[in-house]
Amino acid sequence: MSNISGDGTLTPGEFRVAAFAFAVRWKSSVSAFPPWSWLSPPKHPWLSNEVDGYLALENVCLLDSSEENHAGRCTGLEDPNCSGDDEPIDDATLVQSCRDDFRYYDFHVIYDSSYRVPVLYFRAYSGDGRTLLLSEFEGDLPADSSEALVKSKWTFITQETFYHGLQEHPYLNRPWYKLHPCGTSECMKLLFQSDTSIRATSGAAELYLLSWFSVVGRMVGLSIPYQMMKCENDT
Amino acid sequence: MADASEKKPILQFAPFQSVVDEGFWHRLSSLKLNKLGIDDSPVPISGFYAPCSHAQVSNHLTLLSESLPTEASEQAACTSSVSLGNRNKCSVPGTIYNTNTLEGYHALDKQSLLKAEAKKIWDDIHSGKALEDSAALSRFLIISFADLKKWNFYYWFAFPALVLEPAATLVGIKPASQWLSPEEAEYLSAACREWRNSNLTADVPFFLVSIASDSSATIRHLKDWEACKGNGHKLLFGFYDPCHLPHNPGWPLRNYLTLIFIKWNIRRIHFLCYRENRGFADMGLSLVGEALISVPEVWKDLNSVPNAVGWEYNMGKKGSKCVNLAKAMDPTKLAIAAADLNLKLMRWRALPSLDLNVLSATKCLLLGAGTLGCQVARMLMAWGVRKITLVDSGKVAMSNPLRQSLYTLNDCLNGGEFKAISAVKNLKLIFPAVEVEGVVMAIPMPGHPVPSEQEESVLNDCRRLHDLINSHDVVFLLTDTRESRWLPTLFSAASSKITITAALGFDSFLVMRHGAGPFSTSNNLKTQTLSGPPESMDTASLSDNNCLQRLGCYFCNDVVAPIDSTANRTLDQQCTVTRPGLAPIASALAVELLVGILHHPLGIYAEGEHANAKISANYEQPLGILPHQIRGSLPQFSQITLVGHSSRSCTACSETVVSEYQDRGMEFVLQAINHPTYLEDLTGLTDLMKSASSFDVDWDKDDDDDDFVEM
Ligand SMILES: [Zn+2]
Repeated sequence: MSNISGDGTLTPGEFRVAAFAFAVRWKSSVSAFPPWSWLSPPKHPWLSNEVDGYLALENVCLLDSSEENHAGRCTGLEDPNCSGDDEPIDDATLVQSCRDDFRYYDFHVIYDSSYRVPVLYFRAYSGDGRTLLLSEFEGDLPADSSEALVKSKWTFITQETFYHGLQEHPYLNRPWYKLHPCGTSECMKLLFQSDTSIRATSGAAELYLLSWFSVVGRMVGLSIPYQMMKCENDT
Repeated sequence: MADASEKKPILQFAPFQSVVDEGFWHRLSSLKLNKLGIDDSPVPISGFYAPCSHAQVSNHLTLLSESLPTEASEQAACTSSVSLGNRNKCSVPGTIYNTNTLEGYHALDKQSLLKAEAKKIWDDIHSGKALEDSAALSRFLIISFADLKKWNFYYWFAFPALVLEPAATLVGIKPASQWLSPEEAEYLSAACREWRNSNLTADVPFFLVSIASDSSATIRHLKDWEACKGNGHKLLFGFYDPCHLPHNPGWPLRNYLTLIFIKWNIRRIHFLCYRENRGFADMGLSLVGEALISVPEVWKDLNSVPNAVGWEYNMGKKGSKCVNLAKAMDPTKLAIAAADLNLKLMRWRALPSLDLNVLSATKCLLLGAGTLGCQVARMLMAWGVRKITLVDSGKVAMSNPLRQSLYTLNDCLNGGEFKAISAVKNLKLIFPAVEVEGVVMAIPMPGHPVPSEQEESVLNDCRRLHDLINSHDVVFLLTDTRESRWLPTLFSAASSKITITAALGFDSFLVMRHGAGPFSTSNNLKTQTLSGPPESMDTASLSDNNCLQRLGCYFCNDVVAPIDSTANRTLDQQCTVTRPGLAPIASALAVELLVGILHHPLGIYAEGEHANAKISANYEQPLGILPHQIRGSLPQFSQITLVGHSSRSCTACSETVVSEYQDRGMEFVLQAINHPTYLEDLTGLTDLMKSASSFDVDWDKDDDDDDFVEM
């Protein structure tokens, strides 16, 4: 991969390469989360998309660390008019006092062809499949992410992270949250300018996604472990 | 005396858990609306699951949008949305029974439905089909009712399991890493990785594992059973286990055991609950167990399907589930979220001081629902104003839809709908969350005498208009005659309501805000300003002593405004044509002017500011200056801002007129309506005009009336 342009953006081709490289590195150094996969949904014939897919990390179950929160949280609504005691008792069925209050997260990294940068889409859903509103899951997000980042150059993204409404997912056509891409290229430019040697090295595109995710991932509770950043010179 | 095997515990299976993604309900809804209609016959679907990949959480059987068949119209676009060989999406066949009513849902014979699905599994086992397509062992069904008015979805899964009677017993179960030697575990992990990484096998959830004496492991399809048997190798019956529990296998093993017993007559079964971590086999999480089966010979009888269980548990007991997706699916709620987002983005990016709450709480009264009224209403909604009342007495005519942006040809049919009614309907179509009302009413006009028998109804209209103005925060004067603006101007001046006028000539326009009324005080100031009050509130007191500083109203201009070029132009009295671009420009400026007032610390009392002037230094206004009047001309593509103060002889807002109204109320209003010269006499305008004529200025009363042909 050649060196990337200095304006903080990526071409569709660079995005694809960067995405694959990122997924590989993630798999080898992140133990806390499942691997990313590249999804290529069927194309709509009338849409000519420059990138044939996106990165996805799905069904991430973030366990609620605060046990006391579990009491009283109810995800699935029961339909009282429809219970089924007409089925025979079955000894071979394990009746669990199941803990059904997990929340699941899906993360997608999608190329935005107007901003020419990667965009993080995400959503949270409860055990009954219902998408959660930001107000329902922002407690799961790292408490320091708002505070720490408000003072930095990422303020813009942070604000939108916390106040954004649902946006339409470009592939799924359903509402998802997203970190708006309008500040991304500026920030990436600054990041790369601070170290011009990075930009010139081959593999800079791969590094782009890593650097980008090290910032946006934090805001949604996906921290990149130190060793993932560290081994960048090995490629 | 019981023998040894009877002491063994019953093998208990952790039930499958379901998750239904919102996309599934989306597609089911559209399928129901566009294709199925009231046809409630069962529909084949696919569920998806994967091996457990989390030490504390079981995997689910998930329904996604692609679980349902695509609609005919979409088939061309998406030939196959279910990609083959996706390791995290093993497809499982299922059936959905979606009813048309909640009653129908509750009335379904669930035991019969379960039995019918169980029979399919039974038949697939006997026919050998389950060996070819092992996912059929986990066949499931779901009953549902979709309440598309409230976006409630009632549903209940069943994962039919053929019941072994007596139940299988458990000899032992432990982590695969303990049951296997380290070498065996290593070989098995490698074989699993290969199986899971191949597109041909990744989504095949049941498989055979044979471990040779040299610890090497081979994984085969069920149909290749012959190759495994009798070679002295250790044989494990493996399956993708969605369950995470350390001592129990997951549900798919149940029908698997039945298959193993029926097809191969094996009663002592070693099984492998295959589980993963980060996409690799996790031999600590995976389990190996040993089960014993003792089954009566009647099982050989194909025609007697064993009992089946499997209706899903919800919160620890059997029960149907219900999920409300109004937030994600109700178009009204989505439109509100999208509109709010748009405004918030504007605030974040450009206008941090933008007060969206003030905008959404401001009640706007639009007098006139023609070209100006339609466009003003749209602009208000775009700015986040949510409370709008439109007053108009006219009906939508054939010529209207082209210029009046809220109407279509349908509104003109059958003699035409009232504009106030059509506008409400269409505004709600544009944005369902708008709180809009329409009032069909003509506005009484001065100098238009009414017969005595109509007096009462005219007075009723006057009172109604008065009440409407008092119950709103802002009045827009957008009527099509000059005279019809007089009464609302008077009422606004009497109660110091924010008032904005837009008027059109053929190719020029005037947009202005009225000043506060002559009797407004600093007390009023407190209630009128919407932003923080200035330090020197008392100096802003607007008693009659400094009324010269009040900004004028639309009628003040009659006498104090300089005679500009437009006054010299002869306009056809009957001509109400204007250049089509004019109304949208003027309407947009009128609304922008309102937003400026609402964000100015002094509100209605704010001084008129000029472009290029620096008088706004006291208050930094992110929205820019707040002019009093904007006059624009299309031929020159020019626009100027003007300031005009109130006139002592104004027929609508002067102290004389307002105090006369306040003393005599509707009696005064009636007099003004019935006597054409009453207002001029009262204010001394008559004298003023006489003196103007004597100076031989080109000023004609009739022409002046049509200075602006209002739409
Ligand atoms: Zn006036």
